[in-house]
Amino acid sequence: MDAETLDLARWQFALTAGGHFLLVALTLGLATILAVLQTWATVRGGGGTAERLVRYWGRLYVINYGVGIVTGILMEFQLGMAWAGLGHYAGDAFGSSLALETVLAFFVESTFLALWLLGWDRFNRWVHLATLWVVTLTAYLSAYWILVANGFLNHPRGHRETADGRLELADPVALLANPNTLLAFGHVTAGALLTAAVFMAGVSAFHLVKNREEPDGFFRRSLRVGVFTALPALFVTVTFGGVQLAAIREWQPGKAATLDHDTAELARVQAEMVARFGPGDYLPDAALTRGAGLTMLLAFALLTLPLLASGLLALWPWAVRRLRVWHLTLMALVPLPYVAMIAGWVFREAGRQPWVVYGLLRTEDAVSQVSATQMRLSLAVFGPLFFVLIAVNWWLLLRAAGRGPHRTDLRVG
Amino acid sequence: METLAALLLAAFVAGYFVLAGADVGLGMLLPLLGRGRAERGSVLAAGIGPLFFANEVWLVAAAGVFAGCFPALEGELFGRLLPVLVPLLAGWLLRDAGLWWRRVSAAPVLDGLVVAGSWLLAGSWGWLLASLLVGGERPGPAPVVTGALTAAVVALLFLAHGLSLSTRRLVGEPLRRARQLTGGRTDGATRLLTSVVMAALPVLAGARLPLTEHAAGDTTLLFQLPLLCAALPLLLAAQWWLRRTASTTPHHNHPRGT
Repeated sequence: MDAETLDLARWQFALTAGGHFLLVALTLGLATILAVLQTWATVRGGGGTAERLVRYWGRLYVINYGVGIVTGILMEFQLGMAWAGLGHYAGDAFGSSLALETVLAFFVESTFLALWLLGWDRFNRWVHLATLWVVTLTAYLSAYWILVANGFLNHPRGHRETADGRLELADPVALLANPNTLLAFGHVTAGALLTAAVFMAGVSAFHLVKNREEPDGFFRRSLRVGVFTALPALFVTVTFGGVQLAAIREWQPGKAATLDHDTAELARVQAEMVARFGPGDYLPDAALTRGAGLTMLLAFALLTLPLLASGLLALWPWAVRRLRVWHLTLMALVPLPYVAMIAGWVFREAGRQPWVVYGLLRTEDAVSQVSATQMRLSLAVFGPLFFVLIAVNWWLLLRAAGRGPHRTDLRVG
Repeated sequence: METLAALLLAAFVAGYFVLAGADVGLGMLLPLLGRGRAERGSVLAAGIGPLFFANEVWLVAAAGVFAGCFPALEGELFGRLLPVLVPLLAGWLLRDAGLWWRRVSAAPVLDGLVVAGSWLLAGSWGWLLASLLVGGERPGPAPVVTGALTAAVVALLFLAHGLSLSTRRLVGEPLRRARQLTGGRTDGATRLLTSVVMAALPVLAGARLPLTEHAAGDTTLLFQLPLLCAALPLLLAAQWWLRRTASTTPHHNHPRGT
């Protein structure tokens, strides 16, 4: 296979999946917070600040949702377009998770999101609340199915080899209960909640800095919700991260040794792989993998102290109203969960190289039989398109966030 | 079981062509039907707006079923058809971005995105269907002339289907213009006709693909097919509920929208 096609295909997939992952992190976390807020609003009888919170943050959630979908569409098709070898060799073993994701999760999520948006003026408030919970739970289901596929690639389970040297599904339960999948699910969903909570605290802090507080304490309340969600989310994310770091020492020793910069262990892994699979380079790119791993750890470290302090400050009404330094700090924290998320993802995916299915299929053997020119054309179209989509998304998101809770109409006309 | 998987795939693709096909046609006709942002907004709201992406999920689901039930064929086909899929996806993305952003921004360029994206998408579908029709068991991109001719015919079909379905939902000036375009000849029979043609088109084009020979193994199919089949009636019910909700008027004692 043409080395250039491989590089271009990897770049394209990295940009698509990475961009999608960051959009979805905010969507998933915000959906969770919204479902809880709307439950609170519904129990209290509707109207009031709680309902205004749902409408304002719901608007930001919906803006972000759209570009998340279109990037996801591209990712779904790209898997076949650029990585035909993966489907050919291992699609039988894990492809069902993609079918079940689109039908059982994404289809339902999108339909119920439309119902939730239309339902504001049409449904009984309990029915309306139920539609949002369906959206939120199917979003989690969606993340789970995708991580079933990703967990299989990192730590194949539930498969067997066929007579013609391909993989097929042997044990669906082993595929679904893959410990690699379950740990990543806990880590990523808590990380998504952290991303959304810090976003919420940062946007609220911006309005408080600008003296744009509402008479009913709208942004003080939002800020507290953000801070008190971020703290447990950070704790859960770090816990699942720690458990995963321990587990990959066994599952993917090359990845762990690269992070530790343990040259003796790296040499041992390389020698063992050569003995098993023949000559070749079996270690991941050290600079990229280790750099990403350290960036992730650094971002978490930078988040921990300010968030712990925020947990205390949020109990003090004067600080919530007036403490500018703290507000500015919260605003500065907004990018950090994103940095941690993307770095963690690069660590996970770059660290398993040269394998696309760990120990079974090399990345270079998975790429489609496509000429470098075709792959370049594809990247030339989707690269800039993606950049524009994400840039405009952020511009619209921040503009809507900055306008405050008064203009909350999302009609198409 | 392989046949059931193929039927399921056909159902999702046909669902997309019937439901989203009308949206695409309406997007292509946007400059003709609506003058000015408000009118165009009413056209989109009547046809696509309230349902958000609920029509496109049929294609997303179809691609998922394709990958899940026919993984080896999916990669091979998508890899070979990459030059056709690039404009198709680009059109789809541009259109969706325009539709979505229209809710939060009044920039006129967004209507342009919807129109250009819809045309690109319909034309690319034509090229893709041509590739499947002439390609037999191992289709590659159809030659440009065949592709362009099919693209023109398919684009016309999308337009006709969009018009035939939209005349039921449009109001005011856009409805009058749509009636002018159709000569007032749309009724239940026309809607049925264009819907049947739209559903039949991709199914016939894909009929020669060696689906049953390339289906996933028994365990894989046994694992997912019961779930997918059980989900289908529920999905239809949810979509029916959505359509019914979209056609009712909101209560006016509440502030509108999120």
